[in-house]
Amino acid sequence: MMNNYKLPISKINQLFKNKELKPSELYAETFERAAITESIIHGHLELFQEENLKKALNSDERYEKGENLGTLDGIPIAIKDNINISGYATTCSSKMLSNYISPYDATVITRLKNEGALFTGKTNLDEFAMGSSTENSAFGPTKNPWDSSRVPGGSSGGSAAVVSAGSAIASLGSDTGGSIRQPASFCGVVGFKPTYGTVSRFGLVAFASSLDQIGPITNHVEDARLIFNSMKGHDPRDATSLIESKAKQPKLKNAKIGIIKELMEDGISEDAKKEVHKVAKLLEAEGHEIIEVSLPLTKMSISIYYLIAPAECSANLSRFDGVRYGNRVPGSTSSEMMELTRANGFGPEVKKRILLGTYALSAGYYDAYYGQALKARAMMKKEFTDIYEDVDYLISPTTPSDPFKFGEKSDNQLEMYMSDLCTIPANLVGMPAISIPTGLSSQGLPLSVQIMSPSNTDNTLLDFSESLESLVAFTEEPVINGVVS
Amino acid sequence: MADKIDIKNVAKLASIKLNQEEEDRLKNDLSMIIEHFDALSKMDLPDDKISIHPLGMSLNLAEDIASKSLTHKEALSNAPESKDGQFVVPPSLD
Repeated sequence: MMNNYKLPISKINQLFKNKELKPSELYAETFERAAITESIIHGHLELFQEENLKKALNSDERYEKGENLGTLDGIPIAIKDNINISGYATTCSSKMLSNYISPYDATVITRLKNEGALFTGKTNLDEFAMGSSTENSAFGPTKNPWDSSRVPGGSSGGSAAVVSAGSAIASLGSDTGGSIRQPASFCGVVGFKPTYGTVSRFGLVAFASSLDQIGPITNHVEDARLIFNSMKGHDPRDATSLIESKAKQPKLKNAKIGIIKELMEDGISEDAKKEVHKVAKLLEAEGHEIIEVSLPLTKMSISIYYLIAPAECSANLSRFDGVRYGNRVPGSTSSEMMELTRANGFGPEVKKRILLGTYALSAGYYDAYYGQALKARAMMKKEFTDIYEDVDYLISPTTPSDPFKFGEKSDNQLEMYMSDLCTIPANLVGMPAISIPTGLSSQGLPLSVQIMSPSNTDNTLLDFSESLESLVAFTEEPVINGVVS
Repeated sequence: MADKIDIKNVAKLASIKLNQEEEDRLKNDLSMIIEHFDALSKMDLPDDKISIHPLGMSLNLAEDIASKSLTHKEALSNAPESKDGQFVVPPSLD
């Protein structure tokens, strides 16, 4: 029988309602699971076990009285440590914020609390969400539940690993260039990046504001849909939050699906390509039409992204100056204090990206680099808009390869950056994208595909993904500490 | 291109004090990344369209009405140093 913590949330909710399981029992079960897995995985930076037990008991009472708040009432969810929960640390896995206690809730936290969700704790990430492996965390890396000698992906590596390991039913991540989907793929779970602006960014520590988006990491597509719909909706505290807009929805039956040619070429592993072809065949057998499409500018997406994201990060991270929050290194003047504080507080990758962004925005280089990236981004958006005139969905591998070993790419920055090749386009053009686990490689490591659809068609994409999930029927689970999850 | 990066100046603009080892490493790393941007910087792209917002939307600004926010105490709660309800910083000039 499947352990409770691997069941779909709707099923758990039914067990709660039928009084076959109590929220406090499930809460205890996830912490038992954490006791087995955390010493190996290190997915959580902080566990909230004691503090939230009372809330779990309150949830028990609500179900007892038939007054549960919503389907998420009593569901233990882990939160990436760049999302603020009032009264708890938000470190962003950085020395800079190691003492920071948030005085407020992010909007997504408020909305999940209103539904009765419980929080297991805060999860590890690459410092300030900059990385693809969690090797950049100031508090040590998270390990992949399928093979602890391999990375879990990043930046939301902790959030993906804890769902895979069973120490949370679901988690929240943030995705700037693939930081939800790539770790979800590496850990064999579902990762969904919604349309830009559908989920409020208020209370998410900003990395690159025109790309960042919060989304769920789950065991099942239906869980991703449930959490997404609990969080979405306009928020006046986020100026980029969308007011509900209507869009032509892609077809669910007899759909036309484009395989992106440029994401099936050099640099993509044979395993990753095979997985896309396998899924394409399954979809074809269901009556969908599969064609190959060309989106030439996707080849430029790494360059476009690594100009725009660092430029925005250099502006966003200027707030960490030792004045209002974060750690401070004393200096004889304010400017000396700031320079020393930032030298001491930021790790190597964050410094690199701030400097890269500062350079790209500096006088004499702005037009050649940042300005050019903005123009290319507009062209790329047009390429995708045009292609969606012809197809309903796009499909590609989520990652160019299966999970790599610790240290394998840390000495080759461009190779590390290339691990986001397939996921970056969705951030640049704002469209929703989901990673769905589909199988295991010859080495027993998770493989997945990514499905994308036009902006503001998130729920249709999730419906389509759910039907694909049932076709693929991926049920494998990792063995951690000698115990299957 | 590597010679063009004045790493000391970029670090000054970014308000990050670098040691010699960091300067050498970052100059090398940045040069390598910027070299990778060459193909993009040489592309002939139309000047009339740029994309700042991924969906091309204008910002939805809130009404200019006072609403509940952090209290004074909460706003100062993470300050490295504060006094009389204000943030304390070292002098701006020597």
